[in-house]
Amino acid sequence: MIATNVRRLGLYLMLSFAIVSGSIAWWQVVEAPQLATRGDNPQVIAARRSLPRGTIFDASGQVLASSEVIDGLSRRTYTDTAFTHVIGYSSLRFGSTGIERSYEDILVGQTDPNPIRELVGDVLNRQPEPRDLVLTLDRRLQDFAAAELGGDAGAVVALDPATGAILAMVSTPTFDATPISGDPDVAQEPMDALRNNAAEPLLPRARQGLYVPGSIMKVFTAAAALDAGAITPDTTFPDQPREESEGFVVDGFTIREHDLGGIAPALWPLSPALQVSSNIFFAHVGLALGAEPFLAYARQFGFCAPMEIGPSDRALGVAASYLTAPLEGDCGPFTGDVELASASFGQAATQVTPVQMALLAAAIAGDGVMPRPYVVRDVRAHSDAGTPSETVLDTFGSGGGSRVVSTEAARATRIAMVDAVNGELGRLFAGQGDITLYGISNQRAAGKTGTAQLGGEQAPHSWFIGFAPAQDEAVPQIAVAVLVESGGSGSGRAAPIAGRVMAEWLRLASGG
Amino acid sequence: MRIAWRGAELRLLLPIFLLVPLGFAITNVALTGVFDGGPLHLAIGYVALLVGAHLLLVVLGHRGDQLILPAVGAMGGIGMIMLNRLPQDLAGTSAFGIELGMAATQLLWFGVGMIAMLVIAVGLRDDGILRHYKYSWAAAGILLLGATLLLGYEVNGARLWIDLGPVSVQPGEFLKIVLVIFIAGYLAETRTLLTSARLRIGFLSIPPLPYFLPMLALFAVVMLIVVRLNDLGTALLFFGTFLTMLFVATGRRSYVLIGLILFVVGFTVAYQFFGHVQTRVDIWLDPFADPLGAGFQPVRALYALGRGGIFGEGLGQGLVTLGGGLTIPYVHTDFIFTAVAEELGLLGAFALLGFAAVLVFRGLRIAALARDDFSGLLAVGLTASLGLQTLIIIGGNTKLIPLTGITLPFVSYGGSSVLASFIMIGLLLAISHKSAIGADVDAGS
Repeated sequence: MIATNVRRLGLYLMLSFAIVSGSIAWWQVVEAPQLATRGDNPQVIAARRSLPRGTIFDASGQVLASSEVIDGLSRRTYTDTAFTHVIGYSSLRFGSTGIERSYEDILVGQTDPNPIRELVGDVLNRQPEPRDLVLTLDRRLQDFAAAELGGDAGAVVALDPATGAILAMVSTPTFDATPISGDPDVAQEPMDALRNNAAEPLLPRARQGLYVPGSIMKVFTAAAALDAGAITPDTTFPDQPREESEGFVVDGFTIREHDLGGIAPALWPLSPALQVSSNIFFAHVGLALGAEPFLAYARQFGFCAPMEIGPSDRALGVAASYLTAPLEGDCGPFTGDVELASASFGQAATQVTPVQMALLAAAIAGDGVMPRPYVVRDVRAHSDAGTPSETVLDTFGSGGGSRVVSTEAARATRIAMVDAVNGELGRLFAGQGDITLYGISNQRAAGKTGTAQLGGEQAPHSWFIGFAPAQDEAVPQIAVAVLVESGGSGSGRAAPIAGRVMAEWLRLASGG
Repeated sequence: MRIAWRGAELRLLLPIFLLVPLGFAITNVALTGVFDGGPLHLAIGYVALLVGAHLLLVVLGHRGDQLILPAVGAMGGIGMIMLNRLPQDLAGTSAFGIELGMAATQLLWFGVGMIAMLVIAVGLRDDGILRHYKYSWAAAGILLLGATLLLGYEVNGARLWIDLGPVSVQPGEFLKIVLVIFIAGYLAETRTLLTSARLRIGFLSIPPLPYFLPMLALFAVVMLIVVRLNDLGTALLFFGTFLTMLFVATGRRSYVLIGLILFVVGFTVAYQFFGHVQTRVDIWLDPFADPLGAGFQPVRALYALGRGGIFGEGLGQGLVTLGGGLTIPYVHTDFIFTAVAEELGLLGAFALLGFAAVLVFRGLRIAALARDDFSGLLAVGLTASLGLQTLIIIGGNTKLIPLTGITLPFVSYGGSSVLASFIMIGLLLAISHKSAIGADVDAGS
């Protein structure tokens, strides 16, 4: 009879009921506290519907986001769409993103930035008091960079290489977050329009956009190989001049040079090779460095893993940049020397974020120390006056940097980057526009263009990374990465933007 | 026919008679701030239905299991309280010029369901009509499936509904019953002939062809449901029910293992080739990747579980709507469990799961006590179907398995689901009654 089997079935079913009970308890007991504080939890959205919310100011004290309570509902107004992808939005309907999300508890005063007052406040069961935030971003530079990108899709990231303070972080196309954050009854339609927009205005390209970098990766390849001793600034590769025209055969695959624009190939060391952006030279450098060290240096520079802007518990997320096909959240191994050689000049499977590339430039500018980026400078008492209160409650500041290559390696890379913009060959390639800073500043810039080939009919992405001032013993004050999606050559679109953004900052910083 | 007092059933039903109106009253106060009676008449109507069902079973001398109706009554009671608490315009009917809200419509379906249950429980004295016409049942099943494929229309991405003028029905709910009847008939006939025959490949013993062929046929039906109707939950339920019945009929774990391997392979292939399957799985693996887009429903469901905590927010005090919209779309069907867990907490959730467990284990007891293989296998199939459906939808709500759009029996809103579930209870009660009578005969009374 089947009775025995029914009893055995009963045991299996009992086990299944126990497992399902466990999964219910997991969410209702174990995970409940973590779920309760997430910005898109309806409970959090509901609680914050009526709470006044602090103001967000730029570094120069201009209001970027403010709230007022209308009919018992707190509504947010944003003054400048250039900031949308940094500040995010605080919507009664859709929860919050960006700084609005990671600093939410402070903005609505549910957490006191001072841990002791927080404790006392808990005991006293105080009413939440809104707090204001002051960003490191400067509205003048942010608007300037946004205007430079114009109608193109792209990103500009600019930071102080010494501290990691982000000066501008623009993603285009952007959108006005006010309709989403205002009256919840009419927020659905604008949100749907944004979600259905093929230009993807909701994507924060500077942090989350992944792009083939092209030749700007040569800065990394050079710095890593110099630090490892695989090359010196004078190293040459004897076959390179011949291979410039005949191609460099790796594992039976021929790597070809890009169009050198009539420059006669010669036996180039690092500086002229970077000036003409020789793919052949950097393929040799990458192979001389070797696959394992190449990836090890990449990880030190922050590639192969997600990055954070700001303290970990309040970070703005940055997507992981990869040099190879990702494997279990890390860069996978190179499939062979062809992929390594191609990655050495920024092609193959390489995919990077503009923030990562700005940090690469900052590491060279900082003599081999890569800063930890941050975007919120301090927390202030709430002010309705339209200017930040004098009462600073907490300062976030630099989290310190990490040394990624030696001072010597960074310096040698820097000299080559100065030449890539200002040298005789470099000016043929990159320095035709404002990037040299001639005429718009009395300083000199360093940098590298990138023209990321995408294959097919698609126009290449236009890239530039660099910093200024870079001549001789000058201390760089700004490092930038500029990306213009399908913007053509690096020198044509991205480099002039980068030049003008850097010059504008030097002008603003000197009180001009 | 003589009266059969059902004391245990009555004693277990008494708390439900008190608690369901109390739940309605608490909800009424929580939502309006005062007690104004509200839709209390629905609670009284629900209690009246249970009283009526109990009395009819007594009067008609039914000797079947006495724990089943209380378990069903408790689940249905929790469901009625929750459906009454949700916005009433989520669903409803307007038949014969009368506008009925969601809870009222559900009550109507409970009435229809209980009548069906009673007719089957009392009227089905001879199971020959089920046993001997099994291929007719199979044909009816294929007809139902074909009708869904041809005439079905989509709701929420899955094509499950057929429009029949005044009402829309979900044929899948009834297909489930028909399939269980067919499989029970088929396995009861073949199991004794074929227990010894087996093929071995490695550590797996392959079922002999008479088992293997229907397994493959059913597997084909299931994959068709996954791919053509985009109904992962029903597919999993059908196949799981079949494997459970196969296990009980043969006692071979390896057959179940082969079935599971088939399912996994089929599912993997479907995952590779069909975008909608891929999307479901990706959302399941990381719903928080896109909490406002693809992951909206599952993420909101998890938040509701978290809000409930151990003790719940209290009836009528959950965060059901926000800014004019539901915090969880389809809360009255696919996510009714999370609404219960939010307002009644882990304790309420466990209670609900406990009632389902009582139902399942009484169903298995009916199967174990059945007088013949067909009745036993039928009871196993019906029980497994109700039990697995409960586990699949709650497992989906809690991210244990990918989310699928099936109902929680007796709790979710839905006429087809309520009616089909009560038909299954009716069949279980009929089997149970027959065993009790048979035991009396054996004992010579």
